[in-house]
Amino acid sequence: MRNLLTATALALVFASSAQAQTTELRVHYSIPTIWTQPKKALEAAFEAAHPEIDIVYDGPAESYEDGVQRLLRESVAGNLPDVAFVGLNLWRVLEARDLPVPLDGFLGDDAAREAAGYTPALRSLGRYEGVQHALATSGSTLVMYVNPELVAQAGGSMEDFPTTFDGVIALAAQIDALGDDIDGIWIQPHDWRFQSLLGSHGGRPLTEDESDVAFDDEAGHAAATLFARFASEGGMPSYGTDQARQAFPAGTLGIMLESSSLLARFEQASGENFDIVVKPLPVVAEDTASVYFPTGGSGVVMLTQDEAKQQAAWEFISFVTGPEGQKIIVENTGYAPANGIVLADEAYLGAWYEANPNAKVAHQQVVTYGGPWYAFPGVEGVAVTDLIAASLVEITEGAEPVETVDALAETLRDRLGMK
Amino acid sequence: MRRLSRAGRDALTDLWLAGPATVMMIVLIFVPVAIVALLSFTDYQFGARSFRFVGLENYTTLFTDPIGRRAVTNTLLYVAVVIPFSMGLALLVAMALHEMATWSRMLSNVLRAAYFLPVAATLVAMALAWQMLLHPSIGLFNAVLSHLGFPRQDLLSDRGLVLYTLAAIGIWQTIGYNMVLFLAGLAAIPRHLYEAAEVDGADRPWERFWTVTWPMLGPTTLFVAVITATQSFRVFETVATLTDGGPAFASETLVYALYREGFVYFKAGYASAITMVFFAFVLALTLLQFRILERRVHYK
Repeated sequence: MRNLLTATALALVFASSAQAQTTELRVHYSIPTIWTQPKKALEAAFEAAHPEIDIVYDGPAESYEDGVQRLLRESVAGNLPDVAFVGLNLWRVLEARDLPVPLDGFLGDDAAREAAGYTPALRSLGRYEGVQHALATSGSTLVMYVNPELVAQAGGSMEDFPTTFDGVIALAAQIDALGDDIDGIWIQPHDWRFQSLLGSHGGRPLTEDESDVAFDDEAGHAAATLFARFASEGGMPSYGTDQARQAFPAGTLGIMLESSSLLARFEQASGENFDIVVKPLPVVAEDTASVYFPTGGSGVVMLTQDEAKQQAAWEFISFVTGPEGQKIIVENTGYAPANGIVLADEAYLGAWYEANPNAKVAHQQVVTYGGPWYAFPGVEGVAVTDLIAASLVEITEGAEPVETVDALAETLRDRLGMK
Repeated sequence: MRRLSRAGRDALTDLWLAGPATVMMIVLIFVPVAIVALLSFTDYQFGARSFRFVGLENYTTLFTDPIGRRAVTNTLLYVAVVIPFSMGLALLVAMALHEMATWSRMLSNVLRAAYFLPVAATLVAMALAWQMLLHPSIGLFNAVLSHLGFPRQDLLSDRGLVLYTLAAIGIWQTIGYNMVLFLAGLAAIPRHLYEAAEVDGADRPWERFWTVTWPMLGPTTLFVAVITATQSFRVFETVATLTDGGPAFASETLVYALYREGFVYFKAGYASAITMVFFAFVLALTLLQFRILERRVHYK
């Protein structure tokens, strides 16, 4: 008995001295329904490669917004985690409060970044004023989800699917004419969707130096007019988001412009009704270099101020954003990867894309046209996105698109203090 | 050691009994309210390192900004619809079920349970059911409408209708609770009062209601009114789960605005101002109801 006690005590001493050499990293993430599984897989793979680092996840926050609130509370209490996964549109909230540690020192020069798979488009997702505050870990852009059965019934063809907005609207009108309870097309009147249509026309929400609103130009007028035409010509119903996400898998909606992150959910929900097809968003601008699609998704920031921990935190961040970590994320979530190597080198995901052709379409779009989801600067930054949404609702309900967008731009200048 | 006098010991006992709860109330309610009141005069941003005092700016914004004003008027409209309908319908249901119990106790009990179900169910789950039911193209409600030859209605995404849809759901949600309160009130009315009224010649149902039931339900009605008013002022879950305050702020209410400003926009100062206004509304309404109704209430 005594021997057993001594052995236990010795074991404890050894265990704790062994633990003293490992670095413990506290990591924050959000949306457990999507992320718990992949985060567990990342932890296991990372700790196998780096036994000296122990990853400890905080209890996940329900949404990215909740997550940022929690981080802000923890920063007030001086109890921030070492690394945090945050929404790509929300890391600027942290940056405005000087919380993230810039990653430039760890990343090396541009050539080194390129070699590590961080393409300029992907770097732009976490960069502000030339400083790399965050790295993307997954991305999604606006794509067209199509119900091929309704297209066939309306006399269209999937092989010869329209690649211009005019063609899409004409097809939507044909689908809409199929029946009283069938609707042609739907897009949410929402800031991110508007920015996507704007980017397709080569426009930008803000000027380069973010000192002025820029969407009251030709591109912005065209993007707003699309919302009006979807409603007046394409038979777009006044659905809320949830209603549209129920109607599309149920088979009563022909074309839905939505985030590529919903692919897995739609494929599952529509399973027995029809086979969903994903089509890329039409590109309008002739100069394709000016086209960009704002990218939603998640990024990762380093928050620890402790220099010893920063090195361990960087090991973790570079693993998660590197090809191995990205492979895990893509396989577990279906989100587009945020590393060029993983797409270029078929050794990583070639077989997976073979089995998921819809995902390939969506991911290719991120790699080709991915760009930052503009966050409006300042105190009113988030609030004005709701004003944009409200104006888009008015446009879909018949307000004159050009006038409405111009008035909206003026309101934004006022609210954002750009006058 | 000197023994305390009897009065002294009693006082100590009182303190010991009421003390902990009082301390908790001060620490958890009064102090936070004081802090919120203070914050409502600042431009404090959640997580910011500093703030400055802006006087009454947050309050003037709330009452002059179109969205802020929308939240205030929407809330008042919602309350104005929900209170009378919820109370009136609950009273009708309660009286019917009370009468029904005299000839079929079972049926009355089953219906009571059915009416109470919305109170016991989680609203978030119920919201999903409502969403499907009211869906413009695949929902049962619209299927029935179009079958009867009426045009389909977008009850949750039509800007003119959405607030009334939410109010209807709010009424559905509160009838069961109010019904239980009214049933308790009805059960407490002594039989002999009805007999006395009958002797005095009030034998028609309407007369019996006006001379006996309604006056005797006074205290219950006051209580139900206060509860319904505070509950409908607090409307939040239906807005958050069904409409997000939209479309285009058409169903924005005070508490949802508070949530949005404070926890989505991180404008803690402005959100504090909304909290104070909300608090003032509920307090004023409650005091008003006590004043008006107390005069007509027959306490024994």
